[in-house]
Amino acid sequence: MRETAWRLFAGEYNESRKSIAAEGERQPSFVLTPLGAKVNRLFLSGVLTDVENLGTDAEPMYRGRVSDPTGVFHVYAGQYQPLAAAVLGKIAPPAFVAVVGKAKTYTTEQGSTYANVRPERIRVVDARVRDYWVLEACRFLRKRLELAKSAYALESPTAEAIRKLGAKAPAAEGLELAMREYGKVDLGRYTAMLAEGLRYLLPEHRTGPEEVPAPGPSAATEETVLGLVTSLDDAGKGAPWDALVAAAGKAGIEPADLEAAVDVLLDRGAIYEPVLGRIKRIG
Amino acid sequence: MAAEMATHVKEIAKALGNRVPEPEIERELENYVSVYRVSVDAAKRSIVKKHGGDPGGLGPARGSARTVAELRAGENAIDVLARVVYVEKRTVRVPDGTKEILTGILGDNTGTVPFTAWEAAGLELQKGDVLRVTNAYTKEYRGKVEVHLSGRTTITREPPESLPFERAAPTGSAVVTLSELREGIGAVTITARVLQVEAKAVTVDGKAKTVHQGLLADATGRVQFSAWKDYGLLPGTALRIEGAFVKAFRGLPQVSFDDRARVEVLAETDLPALEALAQAPRAWIEDLAERGGSVDVALRGIVVDIREGSGLVQRCPECKRVLAKDACRLHGAVKGVSDLRVKAVLDDGSGALTAVFDRELTEALLGRTLEQCLTQAREAMSTEVIRDAIADALVAQPIEARGNVTSDEYGLMMIVQEAKVLRVDVQEEARAMLGALEEEP
Repeated sequence: MRETAWRLFAGEYNESRKSIAAEGERQPSFVLTPLGAKVNRLFLSGVLTDVENLGTDAEPMYRGRVSDPTGVFHVYAGQYQPLAAAVLGKIAPPAFVAVVGKAKTYTTEQGSTYANVRPERIRVVDARVRDYWVLEACRFLRKRLELAKSAYALESPTAEAIRKLGAKAPAAEGLELAMREYGKVDLGRYTAMLAEGLRYLLPEHRTGPEEVPAPGPSAATEETVLGLVTSLDDAGKGAPWDALVAAAGKAGIEPADLEAAVDVLLDRGAIYEPVLGRIKRIG
Repeated sequence: MAAEMATHVKEIAKALGNRVPEPEIERELENYVSVYRVSVDAAKRSIVKKHGGDPGGLGPARGSARTVAELRAGENAIDVLARVVYVEKRTVRVPDGTKEILTGILGDNTGTVPFTAWEAAGLELQKGDVLRVTNAYTKEYRGKVEVHLSGRTTITREPPESLPFERAAPTGSAVVTLSELREGIGAVTITARVLQVEAKAVTVDGKAKTVHQGLLADATGRVQFSAWKDYGLLPGTALRIEGAFVKAFRGLPQVSFDDRARVEVLAETDLPALEALAQAPRAWIEDLAERGGSVDVALRGIVVDIREGSGLVQRCPECKRVLAKDACRLHGAVKGVSDLRVKAVLDDGSGALTAVFDRELTEALLGRTLEQCLTQAREAMSTEVIRDAIADALVAQPIEARGNVTSDEYGLMMIVQEAKVLRVDVQEEARAMLGALEEEP
């Protein structure tokens, strides 16, 4: 049976720290989100903001960042995704794109896990396709949220008990696993994410011209982050992302603001990622 | 069982020239079969050999008797009693020249299956013949079971009465809604409204008959029906049918009824009006997967992939099968007829299925005709340009598709009857959802 392409926001997907290995040859593996989406394949759409070739000209490995109203998907395409790699290498950002891809995780030496996407198909689309995707992502997020809300109230939230709430088997099993793995997460955070997605579609809630996300980080934040990257760089390998998040938190910088500042600094060429999960200052 | 064993014992005794006493054979056979769990055929051969006899004297091995619905791929020594539904002679190439074979379809009251008889010399089969096939084997081709009759298969003609066309209506059939119909459920009682009906002339057992076929609907779903008698059905007619038979075609339930059923036209009914039932119900793919298929449903999904075999294809002029390397699997090398189709993976976030779009639908979605595609492919000297154009037009597009959904071991498939690119007022829905969210405590 073909695996379903989940619609979910980067905000939820990137919170995934757990992957479920394939049970045998030719069996699917999954990335488990805190709300219980058990994702093998996903369909996503957003703005391709930049593409980098981390490989060589002969053996390219492209990394694209695709931003949606809640966060950024990291999309990697190399020799095992020839069709998508050929396309990704040619798209000039910024562009609306749609991606059908496989859910994967990457774990750093420090043990931090990051969810990313290996595209099967990627293409440029118009705003209509992107908007419909945002709407679908909202619909499915709402469904998961409502199920989680009811399941959190259960005394013994087994998959069977969750099914009795009206969920299908895959959703119930995913949520049971997620509750075991992540505990009861703060649903308010995901309700806010849902509202953010919905407002994105509504002109009355739009601030500033379309496609310009929330105002960028202040120059002071950027300066602080750049300082942290320098001071946390042990042995010249770059600053570990976890340490950076912790140090930024102490300095009063929220993770979202840190990410935004890092994005700006990356764009400006002040820093780069020598390996996934480490940030190094240039010069 | 005992009587069957006695027959086996007699056959062994006969193969051994009645040299060995039957009680001794019986003891040995019992030992092989019950204690060592050896198959009866293997046990018989072993016993004959053990006593210095020729196992060939046992006559053709008897396989295990099956109905057509019980046939599974990859089995040897299968027996089946079936009627020839269709048969034709074919000439195939073999290493030392050519050879005559027979291919066609066998059927009984449980289903139909394609067959091939490889040793057809002197074998004359007619449509309608009832055959007892002994020691055949089965294979899988494209996910479907096929029966193969080899030189070791015995084919005996039986009188037509030995395979009555349909089972007698059992009494006390279950009362079900249309969404509860499943393959293998047996006879049922249903109350439904006729959506469409059409009279068709068919030939059954050499006799001309009229069958009234169409669609029935109730508030829960729809089903295809065949009425073997003229009940004066019209679109809108409300019916109660007691003792309708449920059959299935690729997981899609169908009902049929005739004189043996009690059919009542209802003057008054709780069923929804014809106009309400005529709307194809919206379905989620996860629900269709649970049901195994459905007649005439509407889906909203995204085209997430275009499968192999999409674009320009060549079809066999006789049977319309798509050719592989200019050859039809039934009719060999033929001059193909060009056609255009799409096999797309449609995914609605709850599940995925293969949606098959015919030429007309493909032309509409692509915005060009078969002729234009042929010209374009000729200029590019490749049919891949058409597949690329299809992917460009469809991948990532939200589509609303309407049609019948069937299933097999590869999953669900929709034969699309209507399709359009979906245009949704996202703002309206987002506003409603946001409003509900803000009202929550």
